[in-house]
Amino acid sequence: MSLSLDIKYSARLLGKKPAFTALTVCIVAVGLGLTLYAFSLLNGLLFTPLSFADKEPIYAVESMYDHTHLSRRPADTMDLYHLKQDKSLFKDMGFYTEGTTFVGGTGEGLRKFNSTYTSWNLFSFTGVQPVLGRTLSPEDQFEGAEQVLVMGYDMWQSYFNGDPNVIGKVVPIDGSDPARVVGVMPEGFAFPSVAQMWQPLPQSIVEPTERDSSRLFAYAKLAGGVSLKQAQLSLYNTSLELSQTLPEEARGMISADGRYLSIEPFKKANITQYYGMFLALWAVSVLILLLACINVGNLLLARVNERIKEVAIRVALGVPRKRLILQMLLESVFICLLGGFIALLLAGWGLDVTNEIFDETYAVDDLKPFWWVVGLDGESMLVLLGTIVGMVVVTGFIPAKRSLNGDFNAVLRDGTRGALGQKAAKVTKVLVVSEILLSAVVLILATILLVSSHGATNADYGVNTEKRLTAQLQLPPTAYPIRDETEFEHEDRVARSKFYYDLKASLESRDDINGVVFMSQLPGTGGGTSHFEIEGREAPVYNENPYSNNEGVSRDSWYALGMEIVEGRDFDFRDVGEGVNSMIINESIAKEFFPDGDAVGKRVRQVFRNNKRDWNTIVGIVSDTYHGTTMDFSGSPYNVYHVMDNWGMFQVMVAINYEGSQAQAQQGLIDEVNRVNPDVGIFHMQSYDELIEKPILLIAAVSKIFLLCGLVAAFLAASGIYAVAANSIQQRTQEIGVRRALGSTDGKIMKLFMKQASWQLMVGLVVGIGLSVWLLGFMSQTMVFNNLSYWLGMFGMPLMIIAIVLFATYIPTRKVIELEPSDALHHN
Amino acid sequence: MNNENQQLVNLVGIKKVFYTDDVETHALNDINLSINKGEYLSITGPSGCGKSTLLSLLGLLDTSTSGAYQLAGHDAASLDRDERARIRNKEIGFVFQAFNLISDMSVAENVELPLTYREDISKEKRKEMVSQALEKVDMLHRANHFPSQLSGGQQQRVAVARAISGNPSIILADEPTGNLDSKNAQSVMTLLDQLHEQGATICMVTHDPKSAARAERTIEVFDGKIVADRTTEKAPLIAV
Repeated sequence: MSLSLDIKYSARLLGKKPAFTALTVCIVAVGLGLTLYAFSLLNGLLFTPLSFADKEPIYAVESMYDHTHLSRRPADTMDLYHLKQDKSLFKDMGFYTEGTTFVGGTGEGLRKFNSTYTSWNLFSFTGVQPVLGRTLSPEDQFEGAEQVLVMGYDMWQSYFNGDPNVIGKVVPIDGSDPARVVGVMPEGFAFPSVAQMWQPLPQSIVEPTERDSSRLFAYAKLAGGVSLKQAQLSLYNTSLELSQTLPEEARGMISADGRYLSIEPFKKANITQYYGMFLALWAVSVLILLLACINVGNLLLARVNERIKEVAIRVALGVPRKRLILQMLLESVFICLLGGFIALLLAGWGLDVTNEIFDETYAVDDLKPFWWVVGLDGESMLVLLGTIVGMVVVTGFIPAKRSLNGDFNAVLRDGTRGALGQKAAKVTKVLVVSEILLSAVVLILATILLVSSHGATNADYGVNTEKRLTAQLQLPPTAYPIRDETEFEHEDRVARSKFYYDLKASLESRDDINGVVFMSQLPGTGGGTSHFEIEGREAPVYNENPYSNNEGVSRDSWYALGMEIVEGRDFDFRDVGEGVNSMIINESIAKEFFPDGDAVGKRVRQVFRNNKRDWNTIVGIVSDTYHGTTMDFSGSPYNVYHVMDNWGMFQVMVAINYEGSQAQAQQGLIDEVNRVNPDVGIFHMQSYDELIEKPILLIAAVSKIFLLCGLVAAFLAASGIYAVAANSIQQRTQEIGVRRALGSTDGKIMKLFMKQASWQLMVGLVVGIGLSVWLLGFMSQTMVFNNLSYWLGMFGMPLMIIAIVLFATYIPTRKVIELEPSDALHHN
Repeated sequence: MNNENQQLVNLVGIKKVFYTDDVETHALNDINLSINKGEYLSITGPSGCGKSTLLSLLGLLDTSTSGAYQLAGHDAASLDRDERARIRNKEIGFVFQAFNLISDMSVAENVELPLTYREDISKEKRKEMVSQALEKVDMLHRANHFPSQLSGGQQQRVAVARAISGNPSIILADEPTGNLDSKNAQSVMTLLDQLHEQGATICMVTHDPKSAARAERTIEVFDGKIVADRTTEKAPLIAV
């Protein structure tokens, strides 16, 4: 009965102040909504281990992540094979490699799919059964066995229109080597991450008897009782042993601290480059939740201060302590439950939008990992409930404590005393400093990420992207084989390149094509750097040399991208030939390392930890471009180009400067490829602008979330700081009255409060900026932040907070000062 | 010394009206009052009669709706906010019913507070004035304590020390014993008596007849008007 009375009373109080109620509910909804969203997102992408029906976590075993190229690296198959035998460490393990396979004969029937070459046990490892036929068997790996293929559901639907009699059909692979369909997997199954079809790795590779050049990735389950930390330690020790025996060509995989093999949760290994960013998002969300808690707590505290006399009367009437706490908590319960419900709707909507962004990001290449479908699940609901309970405790505790600690006798006696004791004053100071601290961290991080990603999207990559179509070409390997380490190797490489030059000539003969360029990676994409040394100026240690991005490029092509040779000459036939090593550097390298203008003719070579390449002679200098995104750690303003003829690339990127429409240019490319060689695959056709945007779409999307966080934080910070400061000053109205009665001028009162605010600002900002620097240091392991973002984040945001705090101090102080001292003295 | 020279406070035709929504409340109506230097005046009357409002006007804590007020030769109407603050600081010492000490300042800091608003007093001089004031109220030994560590009577003694620390022309006390038990009330009243003996001008609002009887002149206010102004025989000083 008494509880229902309290509930009614609380509801009535909230209803009497609808603006207050709406504001607090809104703050709770925003804080909880962001936290719930961030948790659900990261839970789907990162926190929940990847597992199947047996619920056993799956781990990725491979070489250490390559931060200079932002790429995962496979490990030597022999080493993986030895690890697989260690049953004390691994319960089960399999190997795989991923790629792109063209299926379906020649010309327009050719279709690209994400293929996975794998150990036969991939399917039994996951426990997922096929919807049609069978999965791979050990016999499929035997030498001389028939080529077989297990299809994913999407491939079955799109390529065979869901034909129920597909089992046994033979499909041409890469224009040759047909494979028989033996099974179809259920919808949504794409393990290890983006597979649309699976083929067996040969037994000679998955069960090697000697070390060769094959490199694979591995999926694994740990043996019973083995923790991830134990496995990581074991692999570290194994790496130290292997570092002594690894062949020369594999030693580049060993990091400076002797690490080579790594084991990580499967989901984490998949997003190593975004790990810092996602953790930052999580940190920012939690900080915003704290900010929201403090704001709501403060608003409720202000309410208690307004109602302190009512509370004192209740105490005088003998209200039990528990009942008083319950009364205070009830309002928090109302506010947090309503806010939680709105938060649920907001988070659900945000996750729907995120799924759309993921789909858009990976629409061109189908490379979205199969578990990247986020939503609200049971764990999300538990987190929501837990957070609501926590929020009720935090936001209800502060006012409840204030209610219980008041000097009620004094309040009842004169109605004014006890409005702000020393303890309450300290709590208020802590609240203000906390607001400043949290606001600083959130606003600094959000600003730096937002400005950097905006900068990356709008960066000058040094190329003209207007009327440029890009695509990826892939040669059929059987039609263009490379006879490695034979006298024919160079001849084979030139033969591959010939296809590209034939296509270039064919395309450029069209009226609607102005120019064509082939590159291993076009500017704005790729990235990844290697160190280079200049002859006569070699650094004692390889990594003390400067580093550059290195690309292969077709002859006579710069104009297709709006680039130009600024000194020396372009590549020509003098640069094609076995043992001919020439290079073109970009202007940035020339200006930095050859300021006297004597770059042409100088010799430069790539250097690695354990080996050095041949010397290359600089024949020209080309205008600057930027490879990789400006946000990637792997990006570099230094670029070195080699003529592609000597490389004989299997896959290459093409950019076409066209007239007319993009659709017309796309059709032109398809037509000319079919004319030159219909077995060549064309994929990822898109405009140059889309190509540049793609690598940072995810970052840009997360940055938009950070923008939202920043706006929310700015709103919470501004309103919170104002509310806390105003509440604090309002509680000191009587003190201001006393000071004025004693002869203090308005200016002196203002100065006093501004001085106190400055101290709080200093403490909050110093700690907040320090915390931000620490978090940014963590994030900058995989991301690059531009200078403007640092300036805006580290100086702009603190200045904004300073302005907010001073404003939030000035206005309420001014308001109190404007009271007559007699009114201030009798303020209740 | 002529009468003009002795006159410290002069109120002529003072009115104070409070406006709340559409209601006008006449708190003071045609108040004429003068207080001479060295006088010990008490203002009495029932609750809500306007005595505290009168004291606020006397202390320049509020402004009148009409009428003229001269304090120590200053015309209150012509003073701006800062000038009023400076006069409060130099000419007036306040003693409040609720003591109004600042809780996170020590006793000495509370007493020093009004002196810190003066630019003509050095830090050393301030310390000396604080010690003298605390000594007068017998609280020097508690200089480093905080208000919460003192009894009500002790807090009010500190408040008196704060009021007299800057040697004001007049001490305005608003129900100085209202929050005290009889023993402490007696002690504070004795302290005010002693200050008056030493030449201080005191104007005290009280509804306690015993306290009022300690003053040599009593003003009675009723419904915002002075209804009686009489010189009384001072009650005997009781040592505590």
